[in-house]
Amino acid sequence: MAATRPIRLFRNLTAKIAAIPMILTALVVFVGGTAWTVTYSFTSSKLLPRTKFVGLDQYERLWATPRWLVSIENLLIYGVCMMVLSLVLGFLLAALLDQKIRYENTFRTILLYPFALSFIVTGLVWQWLLNPDFGIQSVIHRLGWESFDFNPLYNADIVIFGVLIAGLWQGSGLVMCLMLAGLRGIDQEIWKASRVDGIPAWKTYIFIIIPMMRPVFITTLVIIASGIVRLYDLIVAQTGGGPGIASDVPAKYVYDYMFQGQNLGQGFAASTMMLLAVLVVVIPWAYLEFGGKKRV
Amino acid sequence: MARAVTNNRKALNTAIAWTIGLLIFFPILWTILTSFKTEAQAISDPPVFLFFDWTLENYSVVQERSNYMRFLWNSVVIAGGSTILGLIIAVPAAWSMAFVPSKRTKDILLWMLSTKMLPAVGVLYPIYLIFIKMGILDTRTGLVIVMMLINLPIIVWMLYTYFREIPGEILEASRMDGASLKEEIIYILTPMAVPGIASTMLLNFILAWNEAFWTLNLTAAKAAPLTAFIASYSSPEGLFYAKLSAASTMAIAPILILGWFSQKQLVRGLTFGAVK
Repeated sequence: MAATRPIRLFRNLTAKIAAIPMILTALVVFVGGTAWTVTYSFTSSKLLPRTKFVGLDQYERLWATPRWLVSIENLLIYGVCMMVLSLVLGFLLAALLDQKIRYENTFRTILLYPFALSFIVTGLVWQWLLNPDFGIQSVIHRLGWESFDFNPLYNADIVIFGVLIAGLWQGSGLVMCLMLAGLRGIDQEIWKASRVDGIPAWKTYIFIIIPMMRPVFITTLVIIASGIVRLYDLIVAQTGGGPGIASDVPAKYVYDYMFQGQNLGQGFAASTMMLLAVLVVVIPWAYLEFGGKKRV
Repeated sequence: MARAVTNNRKALNTAIAWTIGLLIFFPILWTILTSFKTEAQAISDPPVFLFFDWTLENYSVVQERSNYMRFLWNSVVIAGGSTILGLIIAVPAAWSMAFVPSKRTKDILLWMLSTKMLPAVGVLYPIYLIFIKMGILDTRTGLVIVMMLINLPIIVWMLYTYFREIPGEILEASRMDGASLKEEIIYILTPMAVPGIASTMLLNFILAWNEAFWTLNLTAAKAAPLTAFIASYSSPEGLFYAKLSAASTMAIAPILILGWFSQKQLVRGLTFGAVK
């Protein structure tokens, strides 16, 4: 055992050297940076990072802050709605379009354009489209439906849904493209077989096609989820966190406490909580998805 | 293989598809149209669609007032620089993982990708501190480095999926014929990998071009790219929608045009390699 070890270590040396810069950067920046933040979340850092440890004080204060609770609630609402709605919307659209349509490549490019835009632009465009005086609402009033009332950006109760609409607009084209590709990968024979057996199309989708598209759904979910955690620029551009603090999200909370509230410890504690939340979701998923089939 | 449908259904579906496409595209189209209107027309009720006095005034005002070109140049340098730097680090890594996989390759890849799931705020302050210490806060150099770092996992993953499609037998054959590692990379691997590298470059360029979290937080005046430029137009001048539209149009135009001429790469890139 001991004798063969050095040989194994030096096998494919070039390949190992080639991968080193990547691994080092990821390790130093992501792991190092995150560990630093977690460590300092237990200190009483204010304007500058200090090493006076105060235990869980910052966390106690964090969970007693109404603004943090609002942020968490917003992220939860946005996250759940975004995942469910963009998957449902994307899948329905893709199922509808699962055939050769004219100029398909151009069509896909147009659907993906929103996803190629910065959240800043998306936020501004939708801030404007949702403006009650000259946006969608005023157009619908013009068309004769006077009682139509949809003014999310100035209503603290539903402002997060205004943000959600912008998010869906940006993301659902992407989901649809992914789903469409997944549907295309399904063998034509399956449709033939289900038709021969007289199974209705919706049943075929739910019981045969969707289970077969599991990998596509997982890829899509991972892409959507990583976007949800990063929700920050859209809020900044579309609502600025307002009205008041009604559309605040954790990333904005962290940023405001670190750079504007000059309360670093709070910011660190809040980002540690975000990290923890991500880990709680990611670890079981990674374990289920990849832990079982090491041999593959 | 698509589901078989009748011809009538097909025409109907194409119509529906294009209606949906237009609806999705409408906000972008509207922004572009508005940028050519006067401020009064931009907020007129009812909205004017095409029949207004087309004007370029907004563009000249935006350029005059905030020197658009400087922001554009910052964006180009940051997005381009981080893409090139990222590829220099990612290509060897992806190459080694695709062609000389070890037992841990899959784990390393997953771990790399999972860092992308971590909230960026977790590393914001440490990076901010390092930037102050090194004196690269609010410089293009600093942003190039940060953009490269945050996109590296995705670049490696994308390149890996492309490289895996290259048949290993070709490399073996070239090795049998006595090609050195250098020759193998230059003459065999590179030509076959060009489409994949192009998609990856495009994706990374777009991601870096659009990135706002880091650019808003790590730049002030000198190195601010277009995202920061539009954001600056939103708050103090919130009511000048025509000018805001002009600013946004100029910021999204490069992406729209670049995407139009490389549709295949765009689709594959933006779907992170999942759609071929």
